[in-house]
Amino acid sequence: MNSRLLNRLAISLIVACAVVMVGTLAALLGYILYQGVSQISWSFLTSDSSAFQAGGGIKNQLWNSFYILFITMLLTVPLGTAGGIYLAEYAKQTRFTAFIRSCVEVLASLPSIVVGMFGLLVFVNYFNWEYSILSGAVALTVFNLPVIVRVTENALCSVSEEQRAAGLALGMTQWHTIKKVFLPAAFPGILTGVILCAGRVFGESAALLFTAGLSSPNLDFTNWNPLSANSPLNLFRSAETLSVHIWSVNSVGIIPDAKEVAAGAAAVLVISVLTFNLVARLLGRIVEKKMTGK
Amino acid sequence: MSPLCPVYTIKSRKGVCKMAFKGQQDSLSLASKTGGRLIREGFSFKNILQKNGELRGKIIILTSAFFIIAATMAITLFLTLQGLRAFTVDGINIIDFITGTEWQPNRDGNPSYGALPFIFGSFAVTVLAALVAAPIGIASALFMTEIARKWGQKALQPVIEILVGIPSVVYGLIGLSVIVPFIRSQTGGLGFGLLAGAIVVGIMILPTVTSIAADAIKSVPDDLRHASYALGATKWQTIYKVIIPAALPSLLTAVVLGMARAFGEALAVQMVIGNARGIPDSLVDPAATLTTIITLSMGHTTSGSVLNDVLWSLGLILLVMSYVFILIIRYLSKRRKLS
Amino acid sequence: MIAQLKEKPVRSAQHQSEKQSIVLGINGVNVYYGNNHAVKNVSMPIHDRSITALIGPSGCGKSTFLRTINRMNDLIPGAACDGEIMYDGINLLNRKIDVVTLRKEIGMVFQRPNPFPKSIYENIVLSLKFAGIRGKKVLNGIVEESLKQAALWDEVKDRLDQSALSLSGGQQQRLCIARALALKPKVLLLDEPSSALDPVSSAKIEDLLLTLKEQYTIVIVTHNMQQASRIADSTAFFYEGEVVEYNDTTMMFTCPANKRTEDYISGRFG
Repeated sequence: MNSRLLNRLAISLIVACAVVMVGTLAALLGYILYQGVSQISWSFLTSDSSAFQAGGGIKNQLWNSFYILFITMLLTVPLGTAGGIYLAEYAKQTRFTAFIRSCVEVLASLPSIVVGMFGLLVFVNYFNWEYSILSGAVALTVFNLPVIVRVTENALCSVSEEQRAAGLALGMTQWHTIKKVFLPAAFPGILTGVILCAGRVFGESAALLFTAGLSSPNLDFTNWNPLSANSPLNLFRSAETLSVHIWSVNSVGIIPDAKEVAAGAAAVLVISVLTFNLVARLLGRIVEKKMTGK
Repeated sequence: MSPLCPVYTIKSRKGVCKMAFKGQQDSLSLASKTGGRLIREGFSFKNILQKNGELRGKIIILTSAFFIIAATMAITLFLTLQGLRAFTVDGINIIDFITGTEWQPNRDGNPSYGALPFIFGSFAVTVLAALVAAPIGIASALFMTEIARKWGQKALQPVIEILVGIPSVVYGLIGLSVIVPFIRSQTGGLGFGLLAGAIVVGIMILPTVTSIAADAIKSVPDDLRHASYALGATKWQTIYKVIIPAALPSLLTAVVLGMARAFGEALAVQMVIGNARGIPDSLVDPAATLTTIITLSMGHTTSGSVLNDVLWSLGLILLVMSYVFILIIRYLSKRRKLS
Repeated sequence: MIAQLKEKPVRSAQHQSEKQSIVLGINGVNVYYGNNHAVKNVSMPIHDRSITALIGPSGCGKSTFLRTINRMNDLIPGAACDGEIMYDGINLLNRKIDVVTLRKEIGMVFQRPNPFPKSIYENIVLSLKFAGIRGKKVLNGIVEESLKQAALWDEVKDRLDQSALSLSGGQQQRLCIARALALKPKVLLLDEPSSALDPVSSAKIEDLLLTLKEQYTIVIVTHNMQQASRIADSTAFFYEGEVVEYNDTTMMFTCPANKRTEDYISGRFG
């Protein structure tokens, strides 16, 4: 075949693939939002879910999703950034570091359902936390730690090596240099990474099935005593999140309006994740601009 | 000339030096008092403060390192111990388990635990998903890096990032409400099956494959491209003969990483695969994977029962496979460094 | 020339004594990177309130030697050294030296400007705060003083809160010098401070160093022989890790004692 013709054909094919990809995203978002947004109403967002009747809402699931997200980030961010600092700044090319790197790699590639099983065995059964917010959040921490570690490490590595010499030559200790120079400089990168990671945690489901559970007590939003059984703040109650709810109404649920509830919940989920994405980019850009003065 | 002849070696970049002294040791005490401020003292208040800053930092950091190691070890250890119980405690033959095709855990008197249908299902979904994602992903990466360098990146990067962010249950829901009915209308069957699973998971891993492939292609040096164009090659010839071979190990890494994700995906697959118990006859027959059977059965078993142990064995297979994927990726990256 | 080294390093009374008092008495310093013997038996005096230039072809060990003086080489894994650098009566290569305090007294400026990605003001006060200097008035005073010393004050006094990265390369380098001066060091080490800058900024740095010489002891590594001849009082020529010749700059450039020095200075190699 004529090489010019082949060239044109191949390139058209490549362009077509790119179009398929963009088209997939457009179709996906379009479908979810088109199907779902009409389901979203004030009462859908603010009423309890129902076990077998039509007309249930997603109030508790929505709250649970945010609460688990909050607890998870509370645990993951300090641990993850510290791990990232260690790998980027203190440890270079020793056997111990190589081992930690391997561990990060293994944790990052574990299927989330395996993490869920581990959570079931250790947190739910062995520690006897039962199906609870805490079990779920700790399982998600295990799952997300490597992501934050990598985010931090990459952000720190992009800060120039010369800054380190500068800090030390000015008679500061290494920790002080990291704290006052490296971390602030890497902050936009870490922030963006953390928020994107939050989006992932928000949508995570498989690891939560066996740890946070498939049900949620009807929460009493006037009761903020964290020790009371149906308080929204209670760490030791079971908590079905939004994404688990979408799965459960479709797979194991019996409510007649499963399709509508799932569509509405999916739309809320996707809108939240998109918001995380948008906020991450905007914040990252704003902070970056402020710091470099450009 | 001072008799002092110190030799010091620096162990690491932590700023800690270990020195071996030859000759006279304590000429420091003879040192002038004026330079005394430069000498590290054991118990000066300032010293302790400074040291503590450094120490505190190290403690925080090492806690995290410890946690990462502990979590990895614990998961590996617990899953292995639990996963082997079926063979060591319950006396199931490991060969029968892996090659058996009958999954009848609740059959009275003669339960049978053949995991082959699930193992087959997992591999089938993974390979098919890679077949869906690899061509589209690599082509999109080529589009971003070779064809529309200026705006391709700007246009596709956000698409990739949003696709990565969409939760897997949403992909499952789309599969359930769009892809399954579509297959049903085309083939007349149920619509649930390997094909639906592969399409859903294929789309899911598409952004992973694309972004890693794009990085791989970007790292091919421009010199190679210029050399090829200078010889009169067309764009496609350059891509096919120069860029793809040069980036091949990294492109394979991209596909393998996608497959690793596909292998472990649970809920999205469960929603569209049909959850049968046997090996499917065709792509559109209902099937099951390791993850789907765990998803569905784990909650109904009591800890310590045979079924529970067997499910842990399936989990162990998932774990082993994720190690295998890591080894493959390492092998590929070693090849990348060599070439 | 080596004769001067025979005299015992004298404890210098800073900023008071006559010019010839020795601040750093360097005696038989060796630096190794693993098996690579990077600096071989270097000896020379560094005089108070003078500029000493270290010249030589790339890879001759002059930067390594400079970094040994304030122990920045500690950061490089596998680096080791012996010999003595007598400063204020003690050997800086000693194990018990508190490198953090040492680096406050012997400051360093690097080849490429490396301000912190923070405001101009923050760049200067960061190390001061770590050194325990408090109080807004005191800090403001030091910032102004050191920026003036670095001839940068007039250019930045209205935008101290702006990011240091918004400055030009030459301004950034002067900020780095100001930052080092803020700690009131005794010695300032400069590692090719103007090689990354344009000729105008470079000239400004040279003028600045000549002014700073009145108060500080300066050791500068440079590739640029014209620069060395313009500003340095004494010059040491490094070749393959050794000091081939150390002399008064004028002497060195007019009648070099060593053939290799002559070849290098006249541009026959390097």
